[in-house]
Amino acid sequence: MKDYFLLQYNMVNRQLHAAGVNPALGYIASIGGSVFLFDLAFQKTEFAKYLILLVTLSFLLKLSEKKRTEFLSTTFGDRSTHIIRSLENLIVSLPGIGVLLYHSLFLEALLLCIACAALALLSFKSTFNFTIPTPFYKNPFEFTAGFRKTYPIYPIAYFITIAAIDVGNTNLGLFAMVLVFLVALSFYTKPENEYYVWVHALTSKEFIFMKLTIASKNVTLLSLPILLSLLYFFWHEVDFILLFFFVCFLFLWIVIIAKYVTFPNEMNIQLGITIVLCFYFPPLLLAILPYYFYKSVKNLNTLLP
Amino acid sequence: MIKIEELSKKFGKNEVLKNVNLQFSKGCTYGIVGENGAGKTTLFRCIAGLDNYEGKITADLNPIKNHLGLLLTESFIFSKITGKEYIRLLCNARDISNVDFERKNIFDLPLDQYASTYSTGMKKKLALTAILLQENDYFILDEPFNGVDIQSNIVLTEIIKELKKLNKIVLISSHIFSTLNTICDEIHLLQKGQEIKTVQKEGFKALEEEMIKISLGNRVKELELK
Repeated sequence: MKDYFLLQYNMVNRQLHAAGVNPALGYIASIGGSVFLFDLAFQKTEFAKYLILLVTLSFLLKLSEKKRTEFLSTTFGDRSTHIIRSLENLIVSLPGIGVLLYHSLFLEALLLCIACAALALLSFKSTFNFTIPTPFYKNPFEFTAGFRKTYPIYPIAYFITIAAIDVGNTNLGLFAMVLVFLVALSFYTKPENEYYVWVHALTSKEFIFMKLTIASKNVTLLSLPILLSLLYFFWHEVDFILLFFFVCFLFLWIVIIAKYVTFPNEMNIQLGITIVLCFYFPPLLLAILPYYFYKSVKNLNTLLP
Repeated sequence: MIKIEELSKKFGKNEVLKNVNLQFSKGCTYGIVGENGAGKTTLFRCIAGLDNYEGKITADLNPIKNHLGLLLTESFIFSKITGKEYIRLLCNARDISNVDFERKNIFDLPLDQYASTYSTGMKKKLALTAILLQENDYFILDEPFNGVDIQSNIVLTEIIKELKKLNKIVLISSHIFSTLNTICDEIHLLQKGQEIKTVQKEGFKALEEEMIKISLGNRVKELELK
């Protein structure tokens, strides 16, 4: 059991090294980052506790994957597997539990602790035979697969929009829009197998334009109910809402372009920091977008001459 | 026609391909054989433009990759994509539309199911169906018969014969010599990154015997099975 955790620790360290991050800094940044984001949620929305519960539970469910649990069970036996799974669940839940306790939400924190113990005894099959329908079947790739993995987010985002209209809170409505865009961004954070780039009979420039066009069309489809509702109910802030919508697009485009700057490798830390800086100063996006577009086109030239 | 001149490829100090010269003509099927690590897959990757190389690869249709159907030894299929969507993705990549998926599903694959749930053989058949529907002129099939059931192997053999009739260039690597024997016009033997022998149809039998002799040697006896 000790060897298992040591192996997990080494694997995480290797991944951090590969991403060009000092492991110690990586641990501090991920714990600090989660606590910061959770706390930010408390400042920005009244639904923060549900968000924390949802995010933490989704991680716990991922760890309860059937094949993974079966592997642990056959390797370590049932008793050790329960202990391993409980410890893993607790480690993953710690930032959430910590923030909930800090905000005196003892019942919610207790619920997470119970979930950690209960889910350690359960396993779920992650692959069902049922195929989730998607509106993105004509251009199957990131959005088709991504939509199927994240579809529960969209009713939540639309529900938040209704709540925003109900309480007359524009910021809450914009948060719903950000949620849809953040999920769309997540489809583009991991580089695909090079075969899926190579196979296109396009130049590198045409290929990146195609990716940007498909992503823009699809994310518009998903965010349109939110955008139209906000424009109708908060018509006095039309300029700001449209500008916000445009900035969300700039972030989507920079993440797609950034993926191909370092392709086939994962996005490096410098690029990540640049994108984070843009969150603080969005106009920077207008300057870096053309620069990284040029770099991504150049990088893909070998695969797409 | 595809012409390869003085092709060399290094990974660090390890020279995987050494001055390979080959020529492939329209309407012919070529077998590429050799031990594991002989450089077959690297040769295919260089032709496809997936790896950089020294030397020259030319063809009558350029860039080669836009006219090439590449079947890799292990097809990478990502999660939450159905078989039909995988084929559509590969067809979209070559601007092929209006494909009748049901009629062209010759391997009877469950196209509405997630492709990641397919068995190894089914994934290979799916990848093969997709590259066939791309209407390519060149085909590279790296171990196409591995993991595929006997019935599908028969279908695959007929497909390759049909491609030949359609004047396509087909390159195949396989460890199953009997299939190469049936479908290939020429076999190239690679050894340690060098093309050491080109054999025409009439010499296939002798090549097979030679390969068995080299591969087998005294190895089984040395094992001293009891």
